[in-house]
Amino acid sequence: MSRLISSLAAVICLSTAALPAATSRDANDPVLLPVTKDPTVSFSLWFKVGAQNDPAGKEGLAALTAAMLTEASTKTHSYDEILDKLYPLASSYGAAPSMEMTVVNGRTHTDNLADFYPLLIDAVIAPAFKPEDLDRLKSRTLSFLENTLRFSSDEELGKAVLYNEIFAGTPYGHIVTGTVDSVKSITVDDVRSFYAKHFTRDNVVIGLAGGYQKSLLEKLQLDVRRLPSGAPAAVLAPQPKPLDGMSVMLVEKPATSTAISLGFPIGVVRGSKEWYALAIASSWLGEHRNSSGRLYQTIRERRGLNYGDYAYIEHYPNGGVRQLPPQNVARRQHLFEIWIRPVPNEARHFALRAALREVDELVQRGLSAEDFASRRAFLKNYVLHYASTTGERLAYAIDDAFYGLDEPHLAKFRRMMDELTLADVNAAIKKHWQLANVKIVAITPDADAFATALATDAPSPITYASPKPAVIVEEDKLISTYPLKIKRENVKIVPVAELFVK
Amino acid sequence: MNSLKLPLLLVAIASAAFAATPPRTFPYPYEKHTLPNGLTALLIPMESPGIVAYYSVVRTGSRDEVEPGKSGFAHFFEHMMFRGTKKYPQAAYEATVTKLGASTNAYTTDDHTAYHLKFAKDDLEQVIDIESDRFQNLSFSLPVFQTEAGAVYGEYRKNITSPFALLNEKIQDLAYDVHTYKHTTIGFERDIMVMAGQFDYSLSFFKRFYRPENVVLVIAGDFDPKATLALIKKYYGPWARGFTAPAVEPEPPQTAERSAEISYPGKTLPILAVAYKGDAFDPKNKDYVAALLLGDLAFGETSELRKRLVLREQKVQTLGASIPLNRDQPLFQIFAMIKKPEDIATVRDEIYRTLEQFKTTPVDAARLRDLKRRNKYSFLMGLDTPGAVAAALARFVSLTGDIDIVDQLYAAGDEVTAEDIMRAAKKYFVPERRTVVVLKGGQS
Repeated sequence: MSRLISSLAAVICLSTAALPAATSRDANDPVLLPVTKDPTVSFSLWFKVGAQNDPAGKEGLAALTAAMLTEASTKTHSYDEILDKLYPLASSYGAAPSMEMTVVNGRTHTDNLADFYPLLIDAVIAPAFKPEDLDRLKSRTLSFLENTLRFSSDEELGKAVLYNEIFAGTPYGHIVTGTVDSVKSITVDDVRSFYAKHFTRDNVVIGLAGGYQKSLLEKLQLDVRRLPSGAPAAVLAPQPKPLDGMSVMLVEKPATSTAISLGFPIGVVRGSKEWYALAIASSWLGEHRNSSGRLYQTIRERRGLNYGDYAYIEHYPNGGVRQLPPQNVARRQHLFEIWIRPVPNEARHFALRAALREVDELVQRGLSAEDFASRRAFLKNYVLHYASTTGERLAYAIDDAFYGLDEPHLAKFRRMMDELTLADVNAAIKKHWQLANVKIVAITPDADAFATALATDAPSPITYASPKPAVIVEEDKLISTYPLKIKRENVKIVPVAELFVK
Repeated sequence: MNSLKLPLLLVAIASAAFAATPPRTFPYPYEKHTLPNGLTALLIPMESPGIVAYYSVVRTGSRDEVEPGKSGFAHFFEHMMFRGTKKYPQAAYEATVTKLGASTNAYTTDDHTAYHLKFAKDDLEQVIDIESDRFQNLSFSLPVFQTEAGAVYGEYRKNITSPFALLNEKIQDLAYDVHTYKHTTIGFERDIMVMAGQFDYSLSFFKRFYRPENVVLVIAGDFDPKATLALIKKYYGPWARGFTAPAVEPEPPQTAERSAEISYPGKTLPILAVAYKGDAFDPKNKDYVAALLLGDLAFGETSELRKRLVLREQKVQTLGASIPLNRDQPLFQIFAMIKKPEDIATVRDEIYRTLEQFKTTPVDAARLRDLKRRNKYSFLMGLDTPGAVAAALARFVSLTGDIDIVDQLYAAGDEVTAEDIMRAAKKYFVPERRTVVVLKGGQS
């Protein structure tokens, strides 16, 4: 809708005006988003380091180092003193570590800026690296790995295993938090040397937004010079091992339902025309937390098998607790990913077939002209909700810098919705999506039986508590015998307790 | 636009926070209108780049599920509200929302159900049209209803893998005998399993609760209040009254401590929940307002107990308190996730000791002042978009149907003294109001 676009033009213009074009910006130029009427100031210090930089055997070191900056003592103050000082300011800072980037964020009201700023900058340039802080943060990380991740949300577990499996053997081959053994092995000296190597003045980009004065930027630039010097060697973009057919990892775990995630790498990132073409197709197939997607309609809406079913072309951590895409989790290698929320165990095979069949049909037939038109109209407006606060706009601008975009991503997203054709979209689908090589992960009980059913392409008829229209009954027959052609040797079973150990 | 500039307001409010007469806390001027049929509309124009947030707050939640076997129905019904009408069948409703590029969803709590959309200001009439239509003319078939019951059970299954979900189920069930806070918002599993058979009940549920006297519209953002009010009158005017408040049975006074230990099938650190029967939301109740501050002072991020147990001794991974805003008597709860099972009793006793200390020792004046300042800045800094404003107000709207209580609450909070906090500690945090549940992980 042009109305929404024009009415929100101010938002986009802000970020466009604030950002120098990529061709004129140096890699470490600050990302600035002044909003003079905003009574708050948002800080983002983007360090070009993430889990991909974890040394072998020390997986999780980047995330722990970030936590040792923002949730621990500094040389000036103990951590409890810092909390006391932040308390009346209603302000805080924190770190968001991901695979390729670590952003230290903070936000405060301009009234409190003078008190907040020294605490923030101290955390970054003068960490104390006290052993007791590391003990506390390691303990929390281990509990997350051993308890929370393995048991409290099967769907988050499924996604973590999917990424570990696909990127095994590459710098992306472990989750950001690391493994039980690696986290246990991390020492204060490890943190200290990782900080000195990666959290350097040559490896940081300043992001500043809101109602700040120029003098604040100048001070921040001077203070950042007090970081260690040196730029670490760049990590090559991961080259995941080609998938060999359709392979399955079943995580054996007692449960009344089965969570499924599946996907494969795609060599497309935002900024390229094909990315926006795939965004249209992915949105049609399964826009996140949106009832209009095809997968949602097929599995949840018509059959009531679960809570939702979605598709992605970018990494989307913590999807269960967010409505719109995350920022500052940019990476050079993404997956095409499908998330099937927990289904009753007796429907696991059917739901998997239903999802893959939808992808298959999309790849074979392409998007229809009607669906293409409605989907791009939707996205053209919907993306404008992605960055409604100053802090979110700053985060998008940083991601633009990561991807080296000469036009802000959200602005280009809208433009491409006008310019792309149906042929563009269907060509991108054909080029990048397929079902020959797919990794499937299911968190499920009685894994042996599921493995056998998968490997024999056993029919998976479905029954319902209530009668269904004939059209659904007929489609069920096709779904329940839809061949996946999975070889038994391509089905692995692992007990949940063995995950994330090494 | 006649709204004041947010920055000026925030500065003014913050600097006047300690003035003798507390100023208004809610920073935006607003209009409140009640139609002849009882529908209330709160119109909050504010600067935003052409965006409007539209919340329909139904003052019905799991609290109102008074009939046996019907727990979780308010939440289930929230799902059914997306199933269309004769004028806009489900596909047409979805096509409209898709065409607008609106960001839309809904949620249910113990006290209310909220339906929300964010969209461009020029689409306001279309949104009022589709929203007013489904609230008056919802229509769904039996098969559609039965299918959705399966999706709701799927939602329960995905949630219950969290130890906190299991703990909440248990503590509410144990703490209450008759009041509907006995069940969580998603409901007892046994009731969810048979929802598909409750079609007739769902029709009566709509007729009883989805009535104009029980609904408040909260509209925030870039719009003209006068024109918007005219549209609301046009589209919602024909909506017939018919709400009768359910007879929610009050919980009789608890007379003795209750306790239980439950087992979580997965692995988890032990979790200790210590809950006390509190009071319903009432900004005029000084004890209640003092308790809101006490929870943070005693167990919050800068509390002495947290510094000791979490940061220094490292016996506890997380510690916190929840003093909720509810229409009826809620639980004031303290949670601790404890690293070793053998420390559970020690941590529990430390929580009790801390509460005893708050009964006898006045809280430090500077900490109390800092907390009041923090609360106000937190609230105001969060009101930076129309969506955030409407979302922040939905809970307040559910309590009394109005938002004047925001100012009342913060004004009352400003006046809380150290003596008030001691009195609140003595009133609420006593063994006969207490329910204690310990959750331990299994061996999986």
